[in-house]
Amino acid sequence: MKERNSSSSTLRRILVNCAAQAKEYGGCVAAKVPEIERDMCLKEFLALKNCMQNTRKGLRFSILDILWADTEYCKRKFNSLNLRGEGFGLVMSGKASISQLSVSSSGSAGLSHVYIQHPPLRCNVPGSRGLFYDDGNKLLCSPTSDRVFSWKVAPFDPLVAPTSDLISEGPILSIRYSLDVKIIAIQRTSQEIQFFHRETGQNFCHKCKPESESILGFFWTDCPRCHFVLVKTSGLDLLAYDAESKSFQLVDTRKANVSWYVYTHESRLVLLASGMQCKTFSGFQLSSAGIVCLPKFEMVMAKSEANSKPVLAAEDVYIATIYGRIYCLQIDRVAMLLHSYRFYQDAVVQQGSLPIYSSKIAVSVVDNVLLIHQVDTKVVILYDIFVDSRAPISAPLPLLFRGFPRSNASSSRSTIKDGESPEANISDSESNIYGDDWTFLIPDLTCNASNKQLWKIHLDLEAISACSSEVPSVLVFLQHRRLEASKAKQLCLAITHNLILERRPVLMVAKAVEVLIASYSQSLKTGSYLKGIKDTEDNVQFKSIKTNRKVNKEKLSGGAESSSTEVHTSSSQSQHLRPTNSPLNASVSERQESQVTSPAISPYEMYSLVFAPVEEEMVGDSSYFVAIIVEFLRSASSVKKKVQPNIYVLAIQLLARNERYAELSQFIINKVLQPSKEVAMQLLEAGRQNSQVRKLGLDMLRQLSLHHDYVLQLVQDGYYLEALRYARKHKVVTVRPSLFLEAALASNDSQLLAAVLRFFSDFTPGFKTTSDCHTYNRILNEMNSAVAV
Amino acid sequence: MGMASANSGGSEGMELCIFDLRRGQQEGQELDKILFFFPADLPFSTQLSVIGLSEGLITFTRIFSPEAACEVIEAERHSHVFYEAEPDIWMVMVVEKSKEAEAIWRVEALREVLKEIHSLFMMFYGPVREMLEKDPSGGQIRSHLYPFVMDYLSDFLVGKKIQLPSFRDCLKECGTVQMLTVGREAAIEVQSLVRVLESGAGATHCYSLILFQDLLVSTTLSPDDTINLFAYAVQRLSPRALSSGVSSWSYLRRGSTPSHVVVGPTFATVSVSDQFHQLHATSPSQDNSYHVKRPLQHNRWSKGKDGFLVTDIWGTETGSLIPSTPTIWLQQTGERMYLCAYQYKSLTLILLVPLSSILNGEQGVSLVKQQVLENASLKILKVEEKLSKGWGGENAYHVSGYRYLLIDDDRNVSRASPPAKVTTLAKESLLAMSKLREEVDLEKSRSKWDNADRDKDLEICIRAKNNAWVIARTNRGKELYMVLERANETLLYASDAFERFSDRVPLLASSGAVALGGQLIHVIILTEIKVVIVGHRLLGVRFLLR
Repeated sequence: MKERNSSSSTLRRILVNCAAQAKEYGGCVAAKVPEIERDMCLKEFLALKNCMQNTRKGLRFSILDILWADTEYCKRKFNSLNLRGEGFGLVMSGKASISQLSVSSSGSAGLSHVYIQHPPLRCNVPGSRGLFYDDGNKLLCSPTSDRVFSWKVAPFDPLVAPTSDLISEGPILSIRYSLDVKIIAIQRTSQEIQFFHRETGQNFCHKCKPESESILGFFWTDCPRCHFVLVKTSGLDLLAYDAESKSFQLVDTRKANVSWYVYTHESRLVLLASGMQCKTFSGFQLSSAGIVCLPKFEMVMAKSEANSKPVLAAEDVYIATIYGRIYCLQIDRVAMLLHSYRFYQDAVVQQGSLPIYSSKIAVSVVDNVLLIHQVDTKVVILYDIFVDSRAPISAPLPLLFRGFPRSNASSSRSTIKDGESPEANISDSESNIYGDDWTFLIPDLTCNASNKQLWKIHLDLEAISACSSEVPSVLVFLQHRRLEASKAKQLCLAITHNLILERRPVLMVAKAVEVLIASYSQSLKTGSYLKGIKDTEDNVQFKSIKTNRKVNKEKLSGGAESSSTEVHTSSSQSQHLRPTNSPLNASVSERQESQVTSPAISPYEMYSLVFAPVEEEMVGDSSYFVAIIVEFLRSASSVKKKVQPNIYVLAIQLLARNERYAELSQFIINKVLQPSKEVAMQLLEAGRQNSQVRKLGLDMLRQLSLHHDYVLQLVQDGYYLEALRYARKHKVVTVRPSLFLEAALASNDSQLLAAVLRFFSDFTPGFKTTSDCHTYNRILNEMNSAVAV
Repeated sequence: MGMASANSGGSEGMELCIFDLRRGQQEGQELDKILFFFPADLPFSTQLSVIGLSEGLITFTRIFSPEAACEVIEAERHSHVFYEAEPDIWMVMVVEKSKEAEAIWRVEALREVLKEIHSLFMMFYGPVREMLEKDPSGGQIRSHLYPFVMDYLSDFLVGKKIQLPSFRDCLKECGTVQMLTVGREAAIEVQSLVRVLESGAGATHCYSLILFQDLLVSTTLSPDDTINLFAYAVQRLSPRALSSGVSSWSYLRRGSTPSHVVVGPTFATVSVSDQFHQLHATSPSQDNSYHVKRPLQHNRWSKGKDGFLVTDIWGTETGSLIPSTPTIWLQQTGERMYLCAYQYKSLTLILLVPLSSILNGEQGVSLVKQQVLENASLKILKVEEKLSKGWGGENAYHVSGYRYLLIDDDRNVSRASPPAKVTTLAKESLLAMSKLREEVDLEKSRSKWDNADRDKDLEICIRAKNNAWVIARTNRGKELYMVLERANETLLYASDAFERFSDRVPLLASSGAVALGGQLIHVIILTEIKVVIVGHRLLGVRFLLR
């Protein structure tokens, strides 16, 4: 109660100070109510938030507080795993009770779409002279006076031990290992690069002409013609390493005036900035397929005044590799926009712009999701560039720190080792989130340079899917996730399962099913769907990240090939989604080999993990469920995918249960439910209540040429002669004569018995010598004599 | 006048009466039995004598067969066809046997007409007995039955005469629906549309019926209700019915010969209303206060702006000009439903929404309609496109060289050669077929009493005077009739042709309707026709009995 009072008085102060912003925000909201949507009035909101934050400097008032409503809503939804989608109405409805504000700032209990996981990789070595990141080998290097320590950061393991190599003393501007990790290249000055052989310890130098040019940087490449690229103010030098002479030979040069450059190994793309404003770019892609020279292009920059000419800085340009496509993101500080460009082999196409709400921006790509960190406002906005819309996936939420695994896994080693209480650690780190000493490394790492901590950024798929009301788009999003494919898959299954159980509108479920089937068909085409996962556990269990890490460890020791996680983009045009062996695989159970590389759901899994459980749980009228199955069949047939007979069998059961036999026969006759033996048998089963359905089953047996079963069923129905005729025509010899004879005897019709006996005597060789023949002949004689008497 | 002349003459007309055996049991009150009589201008004494004879026979035959009393009386100059519509409510049709060759009926076909009158009546007003219980005076039922049956009969008007289904219609079957054969993909789309329609209405137990042209595409109604609604839709709601205003019941359609479809609807209506007034004049118990809707009236349906079909038959809601939504009564559930019909090009969708689920009347119905449009319009476009793409036109189900009729008794579905093609048959072939069908009808009704749960297999092959082969085969609930005029070879040839046919007719192919290739197991002799007797496994041998 006390807290409530204090926060409400704080609130009063805030409202006095930020009246203008509050009014603006309120006005905006009022104008749009009742059409409430995500991110409405975001600009006004952020302005208000900035103001509030400034007012409450002394208090612990995080962005979480402001976004409490949204978060609270998500949390509520999330906790119950009740994936409803009423939209964000609660955001507004809860406005009145702002006194709750500080409740949700309880750190780890909060929810976010993006989080970093404790513990970090600690790269603290005594005498360190800074941290360098070699994105070609995914190595974090920390040089000391005579050594360089390097940690492998992909796959990310916070407990990985560094390797160290001896180097000579001297200034260090940058360090990169060769791609075979045999040579270490260290840029000493703007004129000189020194190379160290790791095995032999030999070293040699490469220098450039000191008077006319200076070295801006360098990188190793897997280009067939060269191994090493030197970026200088005068252009690119392509060098090839000669192992014998242990020196570099100049292979090629590309002349250009270069102010600065950006390069990522992921994209193999180097962009050279030139011109007064540094906004003219020439690009080269140096991949194993060769060198592609991109056309020159200019980036767009708004002017604040007529005469001002803003200069583009290297920090404002990012190369992002998303779904194997290469994008360039450029910050326009004047317009407060993030322009995006997509690179094609022969063109650079501007793709539209995203708004930014902070002067400092960082970009990461986690599992092909674009994360724009609004560093000043300490929130991150997520975009899925795969879909055409440029709307963010979810509301801006802070980057969250997760101190310890949520569920109670085995006693966490790391916390014990650290000897700190988790809470203290959390508050520590939380206050540091998006601090000035944070740098974001490609693609999904962030480094706290002062603490020497390296964090990996994760997406919280559960949170994202729980917070969005648009179920089909959530499914699209989840289906595109590769990193946590198994988790995404489980989420998709759970969402679909709940959709049906909650009897959401057929159209919505239809759309959801369509998304899943289309994704499955796509994954079959690209081959990313790996079979062999027949998970019978129908309950969605999300085990702790802790256990997952154990899985990772096994993998590390197990397979070397699992380290090749990067997406090779041989051509910038390639839209091909390669299956990446996910380094952090939140698998459902440990015994499962983490083979799920795609969240695609096959029709079989759809049946066994969604339809079958739903059928068990569903109560009442099943016509809704039939409608869903019809939609499922429609989606499957539109992508020409076969469906297992179990689903047809299920549909028959449902229709028969409701006694909708006329509809059932329409389904069968129009082959909506395709013929198969299982279907025919189910029809015969359902036909106990309805003879017409039974006939359909019989007809299906005959169409499928299941002669044996057909004859048996005919006999069962009492059509002995037709059964015999059919048996003769189709040479069915598997049905025992005694079956017919018994049936004929049971009918107590001597004529029938005689006819059957005669049939077998005439057409079955050797029948006359069997005991059956004698027995029934005798019986027949008795019957006839009885009649005669 | 036309109708009157047909009636007053008496010689060439027919009589149709509906009466209740439970009424007018006391002497002097016999008139109370009569619920309907056509022609109405017949003297009561004549009316009573027809009903008296019928009642007498019913009472007599019930002694021997309590469950199924008299079916037909064949007198020298008349046939009386009986139909017990509801317990103790009987419909009797008296047709004159005329020397004129056209007047050769098949009794079962006439009974189907009676049956249809009754089921359609029930569809709109509920059971006759119920109405009688509500208004024991009988005024209500009479005032409803009269215009209804007259409107119904007006469909049979050809020129000035009522033309009942004769032998010329032997390759048609009343009381069945005609289905459109669709491919799997289209079928799934249709089913998907059905689900969206029924779920989109928001109410719990909705039903739907989808027609393409005059053919049924999908139904979720019970078979009986489907037949009734289908018949009504084809006659009054289908695009053809709406555009031409011309109608005759589907199985009487004359195909492309326009001279046969000359029906003067206005003319017929006039004469019907004449009769209506006559009835008022003659029955003093009539009360003009009964508000009688006449759902079978012609030209009362039209397509509204929103694509939904509207009619003023059901009047307007009190205090507004908006026409009330029609309601129908379902036999299966006994529930009253709103009938919302939507038409897009050749596609007609009928959605039935329970009255009980819509609380605020017309307002609620228009809300449902709006929802349907919102949810389903895209799907409707898609389905229409798919169906028209696969639609083979009027003669889609014509199989060259064959004239056939295929009936699936279980599903009440029939398919026949296009009417225009049937008209090319010689009179002899049609007569033989009519005769043959009568035989099969007889056989069927016999086996129904012998062994109710098992369908009888039957194959009959006869040769008509003009050397045409006329073949009938029934097999586990399916009946196939066919005429082969050009198959002038042996029976073996005819049998082969028969077998080839089974591969070509889509309905057969998809449902495996008739298992052919069995042997002939039935022998029939019809003396006036050249007869072929085929014994057990003696295919191809021909005997001529002359």
